[in-house]
Amino acid sequence: MAISLDRRHFLALSGASVGALALGACSGPNTSGSTAASSAANGTDWSKVTPASEITFWSNHPGKSADIEAQLIDAYHKSQSETKVTLVTAGATYEDVAQKFQTAQQGGQLPHVVVFSDVWWFRYFLNDSIINLDGVLSFLKVDTSDYVDGLYKDYAYNKLQWAMPYARSTPIFYYNKAMWAAAGLEDRAPKTWQEFATWAPKLKAANPGLQVAHMYAAAADYDSWTLQNKIWGEGGALSNEWTITCDSADVVRTLQFTQDSVYKDKWAGVSAKDVSADFSAGAAASYVGSTGSLVGVLKTAKFDVGVGFLPGGSKATDMVCPTGGAGLGIPKAITPEQQLAAAKFLAFLTLPENTAAFASATGYLPVRKSSDMSAMYAKVPQAKTAVEQLSHTRAQDYARVFLPGGDREIAIANSDILTQQANITDRLAKLKTTLTGIYTSDVKPKLS
Amino acid sequence: MSTKVMTSSTARPDAPPVAAGSRRSARRPPILPTVLGGYLPMLVIVLVVGLPLAWMVLSSFKQVSEVITLHLRVLPQHWSFANYVEAFRTAPFGRFFLNSVLVTAVGATLKVLLAIHTAYALVFVRFPFKNVIFVALLVALMVPPQVAILPNYVLIAGLNGLNTYWGIIVPSLGTAFGTFLLRQAFRSLPISMIEAAEVDGAGHMARLWRMVVPITAPSIATVALVTIVSEWNEYIWPLIITTDPNLMTLPVGLTLLQNNESGPAGYGVMMAGAVIVILPVLVVFTFLQRYIVAGLTAGSTSN
Amino acid sequence: MSAAVPAPRRRRISRRARRDALVFLAMALPNLVLVGAFTYRPLILNIYYSTLNWTLGSPSATVAGLGNYVRFFTSDAAGVVLTTTAVFAVFTVGGSMLLGLLVALSLNTRLPGRTLARASVFAPYVLSGVGVGLVWLFIFDPVYGVFAYVLRQFGLESPRWFNDPTLSLVMVIAVYVWKNLGYCAVVYLAGLQSLPTDILEAASLDGAGRMRRFWYVSLPLLGPTTLFLLITTILSSLQAFDLIKIMTPTSEGTRTLIYEAYVQGFGAYQRAGYSAAISVILFVILITLTIIQIAWVDRKVHYA
Repeated sequence: MAISLDRRHFLALSGASVGALALGACSGPNTSGSTAASSAANGTDWSKVTPASEITFWSNHPGKSADIEAQLIDAYHKSQSETKVTLVTAGATYEDVAQKFQTAQQGGQLPHVVVFSDVWWFRYFLNDSIINLDGVLSFLKVDTSDYVDGLYKDYAYNKLQWAMPYARSTPIFYYNKAMWAAAGLEDRAPKTWQEFATWAPKLKAANPGLQVAHMYAAAADYDSWTLQNKIWGEGGALSNEWTITCDSADVVRTLQFTQDSVYKDKWAGVSAKDVSADFSAGAAASYVGSTGSLVGVLKTAKFDVGVGFLPGGSKATDMVCPTGGAGLGIPKAITPEQQLAAAKFLAFLTLPENTAAFASATGYLPVRKSSDMSAMYAKVPQAKTAVEQLSHTRAQDYARVFLPGGDREIAIANSDILTQQANITDRLAKLKTTLTGIYTSDVKPKLS
Repeated sequence: MSTKVMTSSTARPDAPPVAAGSRRSARRPPILPTVLGGYLPMLVIVLVVGLPLAWMVLSSFKQVSEVITLHLRVLPQHWSFANYVEAFRTAPFGRFFLNSVLVTAVGATLKVLLAIHTAYALVFVRFPFKNVIFVALLVALMVPPQVAILPNYVLIAGLNGLNTYWGIIVPSLGTAFGTFLLRQAFRSLPISMIEAAEVDGAGHMARLWRMVVPITAPSIATVALVTIVSEWNEYIWPLIITTDPNLMTLPVGLTLLQNNESGPAGYGVMMAGAVIVILPVLVVFTFLQRYIVAGLTAGSTSN
Repeated sequence: MSAAVPAPRRRRISRRARRDALVFLAMALPNLVLVGAFTYRPLILNIYYSTLNWTLGSPSATVAGLGNYVRFFTSDAAGVVLTTTAVFAVFTVGGSMLLGLLVALSLNTRLPGRTLARASVFAPYVLSGVGVGLVWLFIFDPVYGVFAYVLRQFGLESPRWFNDPTLSLVMVIAVYVWKNLGYCAVVYLAGLQSLPTDILEAASLDGAGRMRRFWYVSLPLLGPTTLFLLITTILSSLQAFDLIKIMTPTSEGTRTLIYEAYVQGFGAYQRAGYSAAISVILFVILITLTIIQIAWVDRKVHYA
């Protein structure tokens, strides 16, 4: 099988490749223009635009919401006959949807309404892929003051509004009431993590089959999201706007506490995959997780499930809860007619009664202040906790939500500390370098 | 046919120590070695392979609280189809199944035909630089698949192939693996036989279909099976190129059952979904493998 | 024994040669065009992308030249990724081929029930990586998994499969070998079944016992099969993706080249140019390995 590649063949092959390269180079990004994201307010005159007759809505049905989404779309069709909405399952995770959305930017059909999570929307903003909504929302006379402030403000940057809240959640503290009672504890969530540290040995002593008093989520299971709560409780933060502060003494102290809880005091563990499943199986007496899982946990667990606010720390006990979940946005590279139709649909989806219906079906939070959730609360009283916690939330740190890959780097660093017993100061210093690098190379050049 | 026997070892890093339990069974064997050397390995193999699959099937009939638990039970307490019902309700699995069947049948058939013809041409038809072409095909095997996703998406979308069956099938039609395997198989055929047919006046197509294909049927069946399997399990490309659920295939559908933040309640349904995806392949495979195995044990004539 | 014929002399292209050329094109061209359009064109484009600093989804990018390659090789990640890939490849290829050969030997029998055994061993190979990953996730889970339950009965704690990077790698390798050894077994079985019996009988008459017969006769004769399996299993091992994605999504212990390329490009980081560079590196490695195998081994393997 000797390959005789003499000069003639070689020239022919290289000729072919150059030709192909020339052909191929037509597709791909533009390398000559500016790379700054455009933060100009959208200047379309909406009064001259008629909404498109068909739009598509890309969703990953967070919280198993496929049914309720279909119902809401039906209701929309009944309420108006201008626009028909097609629901498209664009993936199983936010990452899948993002993948599809990014690929579609290169050529292909873009959706008209697309869902994205807290760590994705800012990238679309940086890529100039979504429009800001202030103009079209005021044209449609949407009452933006009725949206829950914390949830709505999450999508504001540079004084412009870039998305609407949709499937929003906060983490809550889940606990096993039976195990709590066996240990003689008050039927409530701990006020601080330090208080919980005193409860943990009692829990383990009173419940023989228990593996851990508290389970931390796996890295892939949004552990970095709930980590912020612990850090904020100790007065620290992952970042202060764009300045990375993940190696500060407060953060180090926080992680020392959690690392000790696993290795020294041995009352905590780290989940392998899905902490809500570990809890429902009875391996952990408590965990911190999204309220979006509430309905699922109630269905799977064979015991009474208690919920409460997230615990504070030694420096702060209030305003230590992050928000999360997904919002909806409108792509830029579609026609104004489609954008207007999309915005009208968005406004409908987030009407008080509709967001209440969505929240009841999934366990997510209603995004309007005036939503009536009494029916849901009668059925599932635990659902009220997350809503009540909403006025105690604060926006997530930039390092997690605005840096591409930041969330992953933080999760991996946290995992190294909790499962590999890594040296905390060193590991956090390394994290800071990485995060700063991401900011400098991937984000800063695009901010105008 | 050369009968020289090489005494130097081949490229294998370590030659396997022939364990006591793996000797070929001789004719009229004594009982103990037969059981140990013959049946025991077979039993172990069937168990190692079968138990995880059996576990998956059993779990799909359990309620989720029986799966997510510290107290494992082998059999479900109450056999329930709820997971399957839920799976079919959450996603149009019937439609997914049809799509998978269509895409696989068309795609695999075309790929096998392409492989057969290309391999034949590479081995039996005179053409300059055939080796270069073959190497170029081999090199194609080494291109990591995700490299092709973005450019192919742009190309197919530009040709209006989004959400079409041909858009799903065409990009993966170019086949190097099947060509590779069949070329090796064709090369081991005695040239004399083929040349005799040529002298007799048979054209290339006749030679291919009347002589080469029947003899190398087991290899072709192997290529067919591998092609069908990979076509059926193809996941990333159909996910990217379809947005309409009416065109999605089963593996894509399976991942739809996983959901962000739905909590543990989704696992029973996922198991049911996994069974739905795996079962048809197993059935097809059971039928095909009998043919392959029969071909193999009939005493391959590829010498 | 090559069936290739040297290029026809330029002086006189015989009519037969020209006709053959047309037949060749008719038979092979469709396939070649498809491969060219859907595999080679993306490859070339990918090489082009690897010279850019480009965020996926962005309409513009800056030229980086070889910057992405430099960045990869000077990062901490390079050592981890390359080592992990090498370890993964060695153990999956070695494991599948070794176990595959052993299984083939034990299935090369006339005992009843062999059909079921042969069918079963091949079954995992045909199953989708997604489905297989899901099932094994449930078996390995330290809380509600089967292994954990069995170990608990003996008072033991389950290993932290998912949280310890080394154990994650071990777990993924084990599942991969489980899934793929059937492929090696079947190919080896076909090879074993077509070994020329006259040679084996001659050796046996010469007094060679079963071990020597296997070692010095069968194994060398299986050379072409081994080479084919070696090439194809290395290729598929270095491109293994589904299992890793399903079982260890944050890939702390399982950062192989191909998974790293995915995470950097389509995953959390969206660095399309950097990801393309990693894919090119993987491609170069694959070609190099294949050339080495073919060139070096071709001298030693004998086609019977």
